[in-house]
Amino acid sequence: METHDVLRLAQPPLKRFAPGALLGLASALCAVALLATAAYLITKAAEQPPILYLGMAMVGVRAFALGRAGFRYADRLASHDAAFRTLRDLRVGVFERLVPLAPDGLAGTRRGDLLSRLVGDVDELQNLPLRVVSPLVISGSVAVLSVVTVTLILPAAGLALALTLLMAFALGTWAQTRVAGRAERGLAPLRGAFTDRVIDLLASLDVLIAYGALEERLAGLDEADRRLTAAVTRQSVGVGVTSAVTLLLAGIASVLALVLGIPALGQGDLNGPALAVVVLVPLAVFEVVGMVPLALGAWRQVRSSAERVASAVPDARPAEIPADVPGIGTDRPAGVSLPGPAILELVNVSARWPNAAVDALENVSFTVSAGDRILIEGPSGSGKTTLAHVLVRFLEHSGEYRLGGVDVHSLAPDEVRRIVGLNEQTPYLFDDSIRQNLLFARDTATDADLEAVLQRVGLADWTRSRGGLDAPVGERGALVSGGQAQRLALARSLLADFPVLVLDEPTANVDPEFADSLIRDILDAAAGDFDSRAVIVISHTPVPADLISQRIRLKARVRREAGETGRPAGDARGSTGPGRP
Amino acid sequence: MKPLDKRLLKYAGAARAFLFTGALLGLALTILVVAFCFLLSQIVVRAIAGDSLDSLMPMLAGLAGVIVLRSIVTWLLDWTSARAGAVVKSQLRRRLLSAIAALGPGWLSRRNATGVATVAGTGLDSLDSYFSRYLPQLILTVIATPIIVLVILFSDLPSGISVLVTLPIIPVFMVLIGWATQTMQRRQWDSLQRLSTGFLDVVGGLATLKLFGRQHRQAARITSITEGYRRETMSVLRVSFLSGFALELAASLAVALVAVSVGIRLIDGSLGLSVGLFVLLLAPEAFLPLRGVGTQFHNAAEGVAASEHVFEILDEAERMPALAPPAAGSPGRDVPTGRLQPAGRLILHDVGVEYAGVPAVSGFTGSFAAGSLSVITGASGAGKSSLIAAMLGFVSHSGLIALDSVPVAAAGGSGTDWVAWTGQRPGLVSGTVLENITLGSGVVDRSLAIRALALASAAEIELDLPLGAAGSGLSGGQAQRIGIARAVYRSLARGCPVIILDEPTSALDSATESSVIDGLKELVRTGRIVILVSHRPGVIAAADARLTVNAPIGVGI
Repeated sequence: METHDVLRLAQPPLKRFAPGALLGLASALCAVALLATAAYLITKAAEQPPILYLGMAMVGVRAFALGRAGFRYADRLASHDAAFRTLRDLRVGVFERLVPLAPDGLAGTRRGDLLSRLVGDVDELQNLPLRVVSPLVISGSVAVLSVVTVTLILPAAGLALALTLLMAFALGTWAQTRVAGRAERGLAPLRGAFTDRVIDLLASLDVLIAYGALEERLAGLDEADRRLTAAVTRQSVGVGVTSAVTLLLAGIASVLALVLGIPALGQGDLNGPALAVVVLVPLAVFEVVGMVPLALGAWRQVRSSAERVASAVPDARPAEIPADVPGIGTDRPAGVSLPGPAILELVNVSARWPNAAVDALENVSFTVSAGDRILIEGPSGSGKTTLAHVLVRFLEHSGEYRLGGVDVHSLAPDEVRRIVGLNEQTPYLFDDSIRQNLLFARDTATDADLEAVLQRVGLADWTRSRGGLDAPVGERGALVSGGQAQRLALARSLLADFPVLVLDEPTANVDPEFADSLIRDILDAAAGDFDSRAVIVISHTPVPADLISQRIRLKARVRREAGETGRPAGDARGSTGPGRP
Repeated sequence: MKPLDKRLLKYAGAARAFLFTGALLGLALTILVVAFCFLLSQIVVRAIAGDSLDSLMPMLAGLAGVIVLRSIVTWLLDWTSARAGAVVKSQLRRRLLSAIAALGPGWLSRRNATGVATVAGTGLDSLDSYFSRYLPQLILTVIATPIIVLVILFSDLPSGISVLVTLPIIPVFMVLIGWATQTMQRRQWDSLQRLSTGFLDVVGGLATLKLFGRQHRQAARITSITEGYRRETMSVLRVSFLSGFALELAASLAVALVAVSVGIRLIDGSLGLSVGLFVLLLAPEAFLPLRGVGTQFHNAAEGVAASEHVFEILDEAERMPALAPPAAGSPGRDVPTGRLQPAGRLILHDVGVEYAGVPAVSGFTGSFAAGSLSVITGASGAGKSSLIAAMLGFVSHSGLIALDSVPVAAAGGSGTDWVAWTGQRPGLVSGTVLENITLGSGVVDRSLAIRALALASAAEIELDLPLGAAGSGLSGGQAQRIGIARAVYRSLARGCPVIILDEPTSALDSATESSVIDGLKELVRTGRIVILVSHRPGVIAAADARLTVNAPIGVGI
């Protein structure tokens, strides 16, 4: 996606945007008119005209006072409502672009925290109409209208106001850009270094104490903090520059109006009330214009969010991601039939991740028959997860991959995934009840079906102790341990009744002491009464031999560069995902 | 929300200093604002009275001077508050990290580590807007608003009274509205929470949805989630925006009231224009800081909430009974590094560990002979990790843990000099592999590190490979073997007679596991005591001795 596509999605259509912007403009104009009318009222009153003469001004002052607050309230409601409605379209728009690419075609979103950043970025984009476009439109219009009004009263003062406003725009923008730019460039690395050290300290506190390295680490943290704080305090000089400049220019505008207005008053070109208006209007206008630097600051954030969203969603589908071919296979209502004993065949299959220079999986061949229990083993980096993703068509492959004798390229990926299921290494649980986490696998299942499947995966007692099917699993399964998450995921896959089920490292996030019993339970349950189901277990830890009918060992590949594996060290970053007790 | 937490002043000295300078600058700014309004109204009134530009020049120059000074003081206030924010954050962060270190790994393990990391890292950043936007306005509310109201009262009593009458509307309204908003949010909290994370949930689970062929229905689901979110949020916003409405209404109504009342008295000649204009200009200035406090309220609330998390931890650390600090250089085994400190036997006698009165280990007795590889097994929850924590001195224990009849608690240095240990999580830190392996050992000996790696079956890992925070960039198995190598290096470099490894091979395949055991056996042959906690059949088969930990009676698994 291009950045401007993202921004276009984020900006509400004119019909939705206009009411809020117009109400905001009305409120800002009321603010200026309030001060102008009040100044006119007082100076005119000093001439002691009949009171009726000032009736309009008195009504106007009160009306503008009410209008300023009332319009503002209506503006905020209208523009927030518009922003939320646009957020809905934006979220759907981005999501629909994510669907064909997910999960492996999304650049840099394989780690959970990056994915949540993407979502945060999408939501940040609702600030585009609220904090960027609307304030800019409003302050621009107020500035122009005020300049026109003052020019009508005293052309020279109008020109002076226009010039000071332009200077305020230019200087404010320049200062804001410079300060923010310097902060981003200079502070980000220091802040990153500091945060890394904090993570180190917290994740390894026991090790640091046991190794007597705590003092040294705390000293290092102090040093990183000192450097960061020194940089921040150096830059804090620039923080107030924009508002100081705006204030200064507002004052200059009033002084200029006086210098130009007083001679005009003497020559009779101007009367007293008009002078008061010309001198005081700048004060109110600059207050409105003070929104501009803030809007520009918000623009920088919105733009970088839009850029990140755009770069996370590639323009074109990478060659490594299978094309979604809707239509293919729809003439076969029940999907592929699986004739004969060999239901899944791989011949010389290789695959690589998008943007990778080398294959992560090379020349793998094997055949799976109904009822097989196949163990795929091999050291880390040998392509085990890559193989799992090839099997469910998340990744494109070279070589031959046939299901029931049919080349998978002639099937829609969705159709392949109706036959081959996958339990991921870290199963994703939705922030919902146990029931909802199971139902989406087969939405016709009754509570009795669900209880039966929970019994099979060994979670019946656990579910009861949690209060039944309506018990929540927590955000990202936070209320569920790694082993329970694996069992729930298995229950889900059993409900979906895949003829071939791939289990990717079922014990990776499970306490070592539970691993053996878990893998035994899982393989028993996966087989269950349906001996025809084939199960492929991927594991780098040993699996008891009696559970396995065939072993396939993947060879270690050339080590990928650090950080490229996408699979962080087992303990990294104190994740709150399932499996951390 | 309290506008200013006393604990902020207690824990961060810079906050006290800032309040003082801030008050001085606020006073200066107030005087300048009054001077500006006075000079401006005087000049306009005299010009209308017929004074020429030349005769008004001195006043105009004075006005210009006031304008320049006012910008400078405003900038100084912004600068000092931004600066104070940075310094206060740094003071709080340092105290926080020392407090966490003092509370120890036992405390940390009962906490959500990500949450603590966020509080210590970026969580406090919300204090930035608290300091740079909210506190200055709060200071001005306390200083500028009363002074300006007094000036108005003295200049023109009726105007002063109309300002005085309107001002209290603001806090009263704010409190009422804030209260209503809170009640409303509490009522809708659960649904708001779910709706706000709903989109993340759909995107995060996209791979899972695709696996089950459910991805095509999700657009409708996102639409309904977001629509629901909009409806619920708008109903909260309708109330919470009322506070902004009240602020603006009070401020602008005060100006209107002053203008009308001044205008009427000008017409009947009971008031001079100079006073009238002066009062009109001053009236909005009385409301300005209050409006600032109102608009920055949400930013401030975030900052206060973040600092509250910090204060909780700091208070907890302060309440903690001071653990006897390990007596540095106490008598015992303070031997030169490098040479193995020969030890005959590690004995545990009737060792018990309790957490808050609940026994985790009770009555464990066992002994480990020099030159032997022992494995500790036991069901989950039986207390194996607690037993090791007791040996390392992380938790207090009853009974005796002694190395050659000397209780290990008195065995010198950091209390753990006799033992090299690695836990279930390797606990790597950012830096090179070499830095990780030589952690805390004082000496960096490359050839020794290469030997340690080889003994941990990790010879293929380069010493100079840089690791990210918490050792990211490695696979689980690689990280685990570096953890083993680190313990081996410590034992070799400092001559620690005991090596304890907790589930060292859980992420390794069986071939690598047996190669690791071979390496450990080599260390056993030098006379070291090697203790492993493991369930792996390969490890148990290779051990010279097997000890079983049984759960204390009454502890369910």
